[in-house]
Amino acid sequence: MLKHLFKLIWNKKRQNFLLMTEILVSFMVIFAVFSLLVNYYMNYRKPMGFEYDRVWSVEYRPGVSFKTKDSLVVFYDNLRNKLNGMPEIEGITFVSDNSPFTANTRQSNVDYKKQHARSVNWYDADSGYPNTMKVKVLEGRWFGKQDDAATVKPVVINQQLRNELFGAGKALGERIGEEQRFRVVGVVNDIKDKGDFSSPGNGMYQRLDTSNLGWVNKLLVRVSAKADPAFESRLYRAMSNSFKNSNIDINHLTAKLEDINKQTLIPMIILLIVAGFLIINVALGLFGVLWYNINSRRSEIGLRRAIGATGKNVSAQLVTESVILATISLVIGSFFAAQFPLLNVFDLQSGVYVTAILLSVVFIYLLILACSLYPGKQAAAIYPAIALHEE
Amino acid sequence: MISLQNIEKVYRTDTIQTLALNRINLEVEKGEFLSIMGPSGCGKSTLLNIIGLLDLPSKGSINIDAQPTGNLSDKQLARLRNQKLGFIFQSYHLINDLQVLDNVELPLLYRDTTAKERRQLATAALEKVGLSNRVKHFPSQLSGGQRQRVAIARAIVGKPEIILADEPTGNLDSAMGNEIMDILLQLNREDGTTIVMVTHDPNMAEKTHRLVRLFDGSQVQ
Ligand SMILES: Nc1ncnc2c1ncn2[C@@H]1O[C@H](COP(=O)(O)OP(=O)(O)OP(=O)(O)O)[C@@H](O)[C@H]1O
Ligand SMILES: [Mg+2]
Repeated sequence: MLKHLFKLIWNKKRQNFLLMTEILVSFMVIFAVFSLLVNYYMNYRKPMGFEYDRVWSVEYRPGVSFKTKDSLVVFYDNLRNKLNGMPEIEGITFVSDNSPFTANTRQSNVDYKKQHARSVNWYDADSGYPNTMKVKVLEGRWFGKQDDAATVKPVVINQQLRNELFGAGKALGERIGEEQRFRVVGVVNDIKDKGDFSSPGNGMYQRLDTSNLGWVNKLLVRVSAKADPAFESRLYRAMSNSFKNSNIDINHLTAKLEDINKQTLIPMIILLIVAGFLIINVALGLFGVLWYNINSRRSEIGLRRAIGATGKNVSAQLVTESVILATISLVIGSFFAAQFPLLNVFDLQSGVYVTAILLSVVFIYLLILACSLYPGKQAAAIYPAIALHEE
Repeated sequence: MISLQNIEKVYRTDTIQTLALNRINLEVEKGEFLSIMGPSGCGKSTLLNIIGLLDLPSKGSINIDAQPTGNLSDKQLARLRNQKLGFIFQSYHLINDLQVLDNVELPLLYRDTTAKERRQLATAALEKVGLSNRVKHFPSQLSGGQRQRVAIARAIVGKPEIILADEPTGNLDSAMGNEIMDILLQLNREDGTTIVMVTHDPNMAEKTHRLVRLFDGSQVQ
């Protein structure tokens, strides 16, 4: 019987080509939608990489300027001591503007010998960073006072950049960047600093020192569970005292996370709605084509019933034919879809594509089954005389 | 072989109700060649479809080979159509996307047969209707008479005891019609196949054993 069906399909290759193209296009559309969704979901499942629920971001604009670099250093040391003296504060770190859950980014490429890492997030921070953010130093150490005398700037890189530049090789002590300006002194875990649905990118941390301290206008503060609104206003006053001419702005990272998640979710929801319409369209299109195909074969169905096919035989045949056509299209479609991970288009993990291909295949099969079972059943239910009557 | 008791068929549409068959009683003996005649719309096709279990009567019962058919399941009906009955239609009803040989093999697909058996039986059937040289053709590449011969080959490939033919020569010129008629007569004579044939042509009807006339759904002769 299967051979018979293949023969029938082959002899009708012209009509079937249309249906197969429709299935193929549907598959590619569904594949694109699923790739995006799976990507978001996989990012969502990844750990945040740091603890943000009791971290506040404090901005002061404009920053401060001093005649000499030394007085700048002294100013910041005094401020640190003052803040660390407050019992509600568990840790502070001065950071560059691209702090967690902001829209700011600073990226550039980083080289190591022949390796070339693109889009590396470039963060400035001081020695308080690991304690404030609760990131884990996986290799080596964070930077600190002992680097004051270093002739080559110390940097800490994240796990992802470490893997990209060094693979299984040694990272600590290696010199990276333009003209080998930096020396890797440590490796920390990746963080999703653009929110729950973002993927942690490459990251490199540079020590705030006299050369860039003058640009800083933000610090992160880890507070204890006892920190209340009263403390927040005390902190605000303390900051205002230190920065007489600046605007002070205190934000909780939990609130900032909500904001930035919303910023990712809104386009995602719009995309989902569009995708939903696309899927409905695809489903209706397939349903229409299959319905038409099956209905234009009523006289064949009547004939088959007349020569000994049961209603079940007929619907099984129609469903099997659709499934065979779908299988051919899906094999072709998967071949195209597999090029995305193979050629590494769009910089997504290949797991995303593989999952998306599997989901799309299942989805299309379900769709095909749904779209051919019903017309198939209907066609099988008509009495043979009636089916034969309609030429 | 075939026995109809008090067959009635009513077609209901939204506006009207047609009594297509009115209390038909008919016995067809084994080996008999029966023809049915009557004006257009008198219910000939309807009767043939009911005999062939393609349609249900509104009233009455049909026995085939002394077996009542009223309570049979879809599966049992399908088996009966497949093994006991062969159909020939005025408009051939070939599957255009299948070659002649595949069209002829069709009834055997719904039986327990091997591909080799199917091939052999289909080739033999095509030989019988004189089309051995057209097995790889598609129906669209054949003349009307040739198509009808393919349909006959398909009807006889499973060696049914009964052949039901609805105006098998209706679309053909008289020469072609005579050829088809000769094949049917030969089947009846040599294989003892019971044949019920609807026709408009008195010359064809004359060659059969018995003639039944219908008028407005009733048997008049
Ligand atoms: N599916 C149907 N629904 C409603 N009425 C039908 C249907 N099929 C047939 N009829 C009616 O039943 C009557 C008998 O039709 P049938 O096809 O049996 O005629 P016929 O004797 O075969 O005619 P012809 O010689 O033209 O083929 C006609 O009046 C026809 O209109
Ligand atoms: Mg008729």
